[in-house]
Amino acid sequence: MAFDAPAAPGPGLSPRAMAWYRFSRNRSARIGAFMVVSVVFIALFAPLIAPFPDHAGAVVDFSARHTPPNLTFPLGTDKVGRDILSRVVFGFRLSLLLVAGVLAIAVPLGAALGLVAAWCGGIIEKGMTGFTNVMLAIPPLVMALAIGNVLEPNLVNAMIAITLVWWTWHARLVYRVAKSVAAEDFIEAARLAGAGHLHILAREILPNCISVISVKTTLDAAFVILFGATLSFLGLGVKPPTPDLGSMVADARQFLPEQWWEVLGPGLAIFYATLGFNLLGDGLRDMFDVEV
Amino acid sequence: MTLKVDRRTMILECISAILKRLVGFIGVLCVLSLMIFILARVVPGDPARIALGPNATQAQVDALRASMGLDRPVITQYALYLWNGLHGHFGKSLISGKSVIGEIASLLPATLELVIVAVLGIIVIAVPLGVVTARYRNSWIDTIARLVSIIGVTMPSFLFAIILQLAAANVLSRWPIIGRIDPALHPPAGPTGLLLVDSLLAARPEVFANAARHILLPALALAMAGIGQITRITRSAMIEQQRRDHVLTLKSFGVPERVIVWPYLLKLSSIAPLTVLGLEFASLIGNAFVVEMVFSWGGFASYGLEAILQKDINAVMAVVLVSGLFFVTVNILVDAIVMLIDPRLRLQEVR
Amino acid sequence: MRNLLDISDLNVSFSAYGRRQHILKDVALSVPEGGRVALIGETGCGKSLTGRAILGTLPDTARIESGRISLRGESVLDMPPKRREALKGTAFSIIMQDPLSSFNPVLQIGRHLDDVMRFADRRLGICASCAERKARIFDVLRKVQLSDPEWIFAAYPAQLSGGMRQRALIALSLLHQPELLIADEPGTALDVTTQDEIMTLIDRRVSDNGLSLLMITHNLGLVRRMVDEIYVMRHGEIIEYGRTTGLFRRPQAAYTRQLVEAIPPLYGAAVVNRPASTAKPMIELTAVSKAFARRSAFAKSSRHVAVKEVSLSIREGEIFGLAGESGSGKTTLARMIMGLAHASSGAIMIAGKPVDAGSAAARRNRIQLVYQNPGTSLNPKRTVGQTLAVPLAFVGVRGAAAASRIETLLCDVDLPSHYASKFPHELSGGQKQRVAIARALAAEPRIIVLDEPTSALDVSVQRNVIRLLTRLGDTLGLTFLFISHDLSLMRNFCGRIAIMLKGRIVETGSPRIVFARPRHPYTRALIAAAPVMSEEEENLKPHIGPEERRRYLVGARARS
Repeated sequence: MAFDAPAAPGPGLSPRAMAWYRFSRNRSARIGAFMVVSVVFIALFAPLIAPFPDHAGAVVDFSARHTPPNLTFPLGTDKVGRDILSRVVFGFRLSLLLVAGVLAIAVPLGAALGLVAAWCGGIIEKGMTGFTNVMLAIPPLVMALAIGNVLEPNLVNAMIAITLVWWTWHARLVYRVAKSVAAEDFIEAARLAGAGHLHILAREILPNCISVISVKTTLDAAFVILFGATLSFLGLGVKPPTPDLGSMVADARQFLPEQWWEVLGPGLAIFYATLGFNLLGDGLRDMFDVEV
Repeated sequence: MTLKVDRRTMILECISAILKRLVGFIGVLCVLSLMIFILARVVPGDPARIALGPNATQAQVDALRASMGLDRPVITQYALYLWNGLHGHFGKSLISGKSVIGEIASLLPATLELVIVAVLGIIVIAVPLGVVTARYRNSWIDTIARLVSIIGVTMPSFLFAIILQLAAANVLSRWPIIGRIDPALHPPAGPTGLLLVDSLLAARPEVFANAARHILLPALALAMAGIGQITRITRSAMIEQQRRDHVLTLKSFGVPERVIVWPYLLKLSSIAPLTVLGLEFASLIGNAFVVEMVFSWGGFASYGLEAILQKDINAVMAVVLVSGLFFVTVNILVDAIVMLIDPRLRLQEVR
Repeated sequence: MRNLLDISDLNVSFSAYGRRQHILKDVALSVPEGGRVALIGETGCGKSLTGRAILGTLPDTARIESGRISLRGESVLDMPPKRREALKGTAFSIIMQDPLSSFNPVLQIGRHLDDVMRFADRRLGICASCAERKARIFDVLRKVQLSDPEWIFAAYPAQLSGGMRQRALIALSLLHQPELLIADEPGTALDVTTQDEIMTLIDRRVSDNGLSLLMITHNLGLVRRMVDEIYVMRHGEIIEYGRTTGLFRRPQAAYTRQLVEAIPPLYGAAVVNRPASTAKPMIELTAVSKAFARRSAFAKSSRHVAVKEVSLSIREGEIFGLAGESGSGKTTLARMIMGLAHASSGAIMIAGKPVDAGSAAARRNRIQLVYQNPGTSLNPKRTVGQTLAVPLAFVGVRGAAAASRIETLLCDVDLPSHYASKFPHELSGGQKQRVAIARALAAEPRIIVLDEPTSALDVSVQRNVIRLLTRLGDTLGLTFLFISHDLSLMRNFCGRIAIMLKGRIVETGSPRIVFARPRHPYTRALIAAAPVMSEEEENLKPHIGPEERRRYLVGARARS
């Protein structure tokens, strides 16, 4: 089922209870939820958590450069002697800002367009499916690179670049789900009962798409972190000295294999964040029993 | 309703369906070219100025603008661009001054080879893995495969590429970690440009072995995301199908489990991963940009990355269009294969 | 007589969502050698599960807690797995239920048949070449009345009609001579006339080959002529057992009585004759046609005519029945009357005005629809009250007035008022259908279209829903257009009926006259196929000759 159809008759449990059972039995989903919460927590309280908050800026301490991990610097230091752990902590903050910015625009925009295209049909539907088909054909990374390079490399522009290539995917999914909901008997019944277009979109179709949207949004968060890291790895990230996980990996690459910790810290951080959102998204997907 | 169809009509209808899709894809390419054209025109900075550098005189810049057609109305420029594009002319690179299409043609085989090996890797590794994990659900093999697939999906390919390089450099000290081939070997200039094929055609096994060693790590780094995703999709398609009545039919008559899994379920469950592989092909090309950079592969994708970073507009436009062409070709192929697998689609065309 | 199969004290439990559920409770059942036994029960009562327990194909989540299943006195459950496996298809054979999904859609029918035969042969130690197997399969296919085995063998499931797939499934169960044939709801998903043919076919194969039969079904009427003994199952328990004739005459358990009473009589004193209306026409159709165009690049473009020149007049306050099998165009016709589809030609007048006259709002106010499946016609995310508020707001009832109106509406359909806060998943199928009826009433329509409103419900609740509809029709003076394939229901519920075949109306009239003297052979075939509860009624049914059968039953659906 592509949307929240009434679940198979369980042993007298409501769909909510069954969904909660599925989620609570899913160990990787719980781990994912913990990882996501921890990333959000670290990002929110970065200045309090980072051992050297000022190392997130343009601090230079050549005496401590390329220090391997030790008790003072648990993840070692970089080429100018800054604490990698502190920079990773602030890197999370930047990654989550990017996620929030992209999703805040792409999710409502994609959902609204997907819903409208599925319900109104006609030229809007044709236009939207046609446009998303075109977007499918372009490697998203190439498109984002091209857009990002036209603009100045900074956080807002990275957001714009990622949003521009990403919202169509979201719209495509919501469109697909809304289309199948719109074909249901209860929608026609609501029409016959005199419901207006707005009522049908907002009250009848949208509630049946919410679970798909939330699963997709969680998985998208992982994607945006990964994508943002790749962009900054390729040199289209935030300008130094702001700590950015992708560009930290790119900077440290030249010191491989001797100063391996300089790649390890930010690399693991990216992996940790994307893994968390992915596990949580998978868990939610199983919980709502939807296809994304 | 019974449906007796003669073979000829069915084949003709299927070909017409594929042709219809081809027309749709050509439309996609046209819109794509328009989008990339518009993007190219909003680039801040004058392409002619970028090409000539800051020391050129205004007269020189104007001359170049005229020769590039930049002084004409935008509509005319686009029409001209399309016309030239249809004839295979995408102008000259603003950086090297050489024909863009010539440069791409010389670099394309390297990327093609990498992508083909990666796609083969995805199919050969991910599909059986998905089948096995679905069959032995919740066993240790399932756990491992799910771990592999989640790592594949979540780890950025640049990170995976770097880790592979590091591991190869530390553990297998003589394993090549950059380039396509040992330059001392003088690879044969074959008809395909694909080293693995050309070396076999020229009967030079040592070149083949060397090229194979070179391609293994980048292909793996490139395939990883696909392996993760396709394993996952094959697994869920298999599990979905296992619940269906037709499996119960066979079980009720004592057809052994392995027969039910391999021919019956595999054929049915291969449709979803194939379709996804087609749709995700663009992402694969995108990842090639990163992987080629890390492994200094020197293919079409590295060229594209360079072009984008240096704002070489003509080259960027050609690179995006060639990627689109790649995607379109692969998806027509996928559509044809899926149609071969699924008789329902063929019948639908006849109806 | 010795028993072929004996089940005693069988207990099966399921684990789902961390709870164990006891599904089969102390089930005891026997099938005598050469006997014919039916297991009757509603959806989800555990009857199919009993069949799967016998075969050994229980799902992984199910566990046999205790009990014994024995074949000629030997316990099946204690056999080594290999021997148990060898019983499949040879000792026990099953006719699967749903012909649509019972074959793998991407492989040919022949592949299924051949693999089943190959592995059963191997277990039996038979060595047969591919060609030999093919010859044997073709033989079986001919026996199940599939006249072109060559083509069936090479065809994909989607190419066959439902009846042909069901026959192929029967062929699958007869590849090796089984001792016990388990038929799990055969033909349930098919049209009545096809189902009738399938039952006749099973009947003949069982008697010709001297098999024992265990028939699993929810339809009591269907088994009357098929079996000698009946077990009635409810909530996983056998609540009644008896010889067929005795059980139909004097059902003991209240539930069985309900099942017997749920089947409306076709003939005799118990039949209800609804009076024909003499009021002015409410719905008038003049030569209405509907065509759908098909396009093709190579073949000629063709038009599929779903409804052909239908003229009808339905009077105010009448219950008008429209009967026909799937694909006869009855749903298309109803949608045109509702204004949901446009007629290609002809005129539709509702209460004297063209159907598409006036605003969309005014049109909806006149006609409402009750869907076949209440599971899909109620939004799972909205409470009963929210669902009912929509049509109320539309007719201008809001706020406190709406709340009290919802209470009245629920009362009208015999539901307690606190149900307004419930979600559809908290209701049973019958309750959901009542809500759907209440929603239709809320818009204060003059006409309600009923699209098979009881066919998705269990027999025991069907009667109550029909009774409710009759009462509402009488008290509110509604006009009903009742679409169904269930003729016995129409006989008692409708004031007038029309029979549709391939887009045309072939017969119209009051049910009393149509059933007593059906003029069209197709009507005769439909009535003959309807299950009845007694031999007397069976004898009153019209008879159809083989020529008519061929023309209107087989020919009516085959399209090549």
